[in-house]
Amino acid sequence: MEMIHIIFLIFLGGAVLTYFAGKISKVLQDIFFLASVLVPTYLFFANVAIADKVTLSLGGINLAWGVNHFSWLFSLIVLGLGSLAAIYAIGYMKGKERKGYFYFNFILSIMAMMGILLSLDLVSFFIFWEIMTWSSYLMTIYNGNDTQRIGIKYFVFSAIGAYAMLMAIVIVHHVAGSFMIGDMINFYPNMGLSMQIWIPILFLMAFGVKAAMMPLHVWAPDAYSNSPMAYTAVFSGALSKMGIYGMVIVLVTMINQIPQGFWFREVIAWLGGITAVLGTLWAIKQDDAKKLLAYSSVAQLGYIITGIAIGTELGMLAGLFLAVMHSLFKGTLFMVTGAIEKQTGTTNFTEVTGLIRKMPWTFVAALFSIIALAGIPPLGGFVGKWMLYESLITSNHYLLVIVIFFSSTAAFLYCYKFLFGFFLGQEEKEWAHVKEAPVVMLIPMLIMAVLMLVLGTFPGLILKPINSGLIDLGYIDTFKHLWNTSIILNAWGDSVVLQPILYYIISIFVFFALFITWKGHKSTRYVTTKDISSSGEVPADDENLTFSVGFMQPFLRAVAPAMRRQIDKYYTGFADGLESLFEFMRRIYTGNGQTYAVYAIVFVVIVLLFKSVLF
Amino acid sequence: METVLMNILGAVATFLVAFVVGMTYGGLSRKITARVQNRKGPPFYQNFIDAFKLGSKKSAIHHGAMHHLGPAFLMVSSVMTLMLVPVLTHNNWYPNLNFKGDLIFLLYIMTFGPLGMALGAGQTGNPNSAIGVTRGLSQMVGFEIPWVLALVSLMIQYHTTSITGLMAAQAHTGTWLMFSSPFAFIAAVMAMLGMFRYSPFDIVGAPTELASGPIAESGGKYLFVMMSSGSVFTFAKLTLYVDLFMGGADNLGILLIKTFALYLIPMLYGVTTPRYRTEQAVRWFWGWPSFFGLLAILQAVIF
Repeated sequence: MEMIHIIFLIFLGGAVLTYFAGKISKVLQDIFFLASVLVPTYLFFANVAIADKVTLSLGGINLAWGVNHFSWLFSLIVLGLGSLAAIYAIGYMKGKERKGYFYFNFILSIMAMMGILLSLDLVSFFIFWEIMTWSSYLMTIYNGNDTQRIGIKYFVFSAIGAYAMLMAIVIVHHVAGSFMIGDMINFYPNMGLSMQIWIPILFLMAFGVKAAMMPLHVWAPDAYSNSPMAYTAVFSGALSKMGIYGMVIVLVTMINQIPQGFWFREVIAWLGGITAVLGTLWAIKQDDAKKLLAYSSVAQLGYIITGIAIGTELGMLAGLFLAVMHSLFKGTLFMVTGAIEKQTGTTNFTEVTGLIRKMPWTFVAALFSIIALAGIPPLGGFVGKWMLYESLITSNHYLLVIVIFFSSTAAFLYCYKFLFGFFLGQEEKEWAHVKEAPVVMLIPMLIMAVLMLVLGTFPGLILKPINSGLIDLGYIDTFKHLWNTSIILNAWGDSVVLQPILYYIISIFVFFALFITWKGHKSTRYVTTKDISSSGEVPADDENLTFSVGFMQPFLRAVAPAMRRQIDKYYTGFADGLESLFEFMRRIYTGNGQTYAVYAIVFVVIVLLFKSVLF
Repeated sequence: METVLMNILGAVATFLVAFVVGMTYGGLSRKITARVQNRKGPPFYQNFIDAFKLGSKKSAIHHGAMHHLGPAFLMVSSVMTLMLVPVLTHNNWYPNLNFKGDLIFLLYIMTFGPLGMALGAGQTGNPNSAIGVTRGLSQMVGFEIPWVLALVSLMIQYHTTSITGLMAAQAHTGTWLMFSSPFAFIAAVMAMLGMFRYSPFDIVGAPTELASGPIAESGGKYLFVMMSSGSVFTFAKLTLYVDLFMGGADNLGILLIKTFALYLIPMLYGVTTPRYRTEQAVRWFWGWPSFFGLLAILQAVIF
């Protein structure tokens, strides 16, 4: 038995065992759960080498699984984030209901994602894709809020994507005579032009749904915000990257091969840009942290899509680096939100405020990931943003770079809203009892915060596997030409040297921090947030000075015209129209025997009338 | 070891020049504003007196770690900007970080400070501070659009994203970019009005409305560091404009003339106009300034 088989068996067996272990003991269940995520992770990175390949014959169809550099890169995201989220989930799920259900779907999701990455044939790719959709669907309805609207919306869009993919797979098998992905890619240049255009469109529909690309994104905000936060970290951090994984393969192996591909790439890049802007604007409007982060995920995926759609070496590096960074910082932010939800019971900015002194370590993790999200040096997000801008400028996308820049500057607004809403502002008596999150939840968050800092100065650590993956896809080696361990360059030879920058930042910060602190810090005392100047008076205890409702109102007033239309409303209108159509159809089946008799008579009359035409 | 010492010396010397020049400009602007409004006004060295008074004071209270460290965050951003911008041409000054980062990096490091400062202001719990911060961030989204349009047009025209590269291009052709790319210059100057936060874009501090906004709860050393940071930042931004559009300066004298000429634009525009509301300010930048920015891009693409 090969190692890859063993890994999948552990996942599958672990999921079932974990589910039933809950009937015996809660602790046993936690241990089984951790083991069935961490053991395969260890086995994968320790024992599976690049270019390992295994086959399995199932019902006359040969299934093949294997690893290359590119899928190894995404395995790093899935298993890395999956393991950390699993540790976090132990703390998050403590005392919650239906743990077995949660753990089972969690493990299945990880397994399905690994299956997608390792599949070398379209049949197992599709099967794992469906398992992923199902397990994530079951997670979105875990809380039981409004399952009709949220669950169905996610499922309808996933189904549209899945059917599109299924259609593409059938067409490919019909044309190329094989289910192997490699055969499909080799045969692609020989297909007719209409096939060459339709097959990528169908695949991109499926991947676009998972990557939450405009206009297929409407499920994402609801689905992300309604899953349990421990899972949303994976949902937004890793699961959405499966769409990116598929998109990259389709773009590189198919669309780049045909002359019409230029328009494809432009359209997708612009869709990514528009997704980024609208996602950002809607994120600013949200008052609930989960919703805010969900919209922000949509926006961030827009950058990634733009990067990979540009298709230059730098654009690819930027997109994939941002994908890794996004899984780190958005994973952390969802975990932070989960920790706050667990400690306070709410994630609404208008309810909870001033937690910084109660949950300092959570704040540190949130601060790091917000700085990374905003793309401010010296954290890793900056590297990705820099490469994205440079790739857009050097590849003549002058207007798109402005669009992306607008969205990432506007992102500061919701970044600040997130930090201010939860941690800063007036401290209220209502939240005086709140304690720091359990250690088991803090550790994964802080590990990721440190990783973001390290990648900000030494992006080469992760650019190396990205580069190997791109070489596997047929790109040239960009080491030293576009990146080095801690230097990033663009196509014109301009560079940012990250190491001295970090040292300068640290020394300036330490110098001035010492300057403020050194003299007289002993005589400086802490005063509460009520002890402030308000028109020269000290406000009374019962005076409410919390500022959280209508937080970014002036800005939203300025951009109101852009937000007047909502694509969701068109979909809802379309669904309503369909519903009334079905309602009309339903009336035909009255359940009354006499009506049916009339139908039969009418049918016979019609047949008799048009006898000569029909027969 | 010697290079480290030289780096420190360069950083300190640049900082001192920026501090003195920035403070003096601040004082002059107070004087000029007063004369326009038919007042006598304070002496031009008033800002130095204020700064040293604040710097020598002890702080009695603080509102927590972020409030305490906020000014240091602000300083990182100002000093890093200063380190990246070449002060003089022809290697007449310490190189600092001039060759370690480019314009995109500069744009991002400039936002580091306001965000750190915003966190400090947030922790005080003063609602005026938070309102000021949201206004400041909104205004930043506003003026970044024409500013980036202008910068991108320069980048695509000369195929470089580095400040030193653009300076070399000017030295090579012999014309300042403000003449060869006039639309970019107009857009950038209009964006500068927002950057310097004089009226009508003084919505962040907003005297008599927000009680000085984000800095409301800071006094003593905190205010001193913020004030110095502001002066350093003013100098760094003006020098950047001179480097990008006016061919840089060979010595400090020329630099002072050029920067002061630029500094007069937002200041004099400010004394004659009343304050905008936030959404008006944001939208103003997306009107004519962005139009000129687009013209600049058009010019860069066609010519």
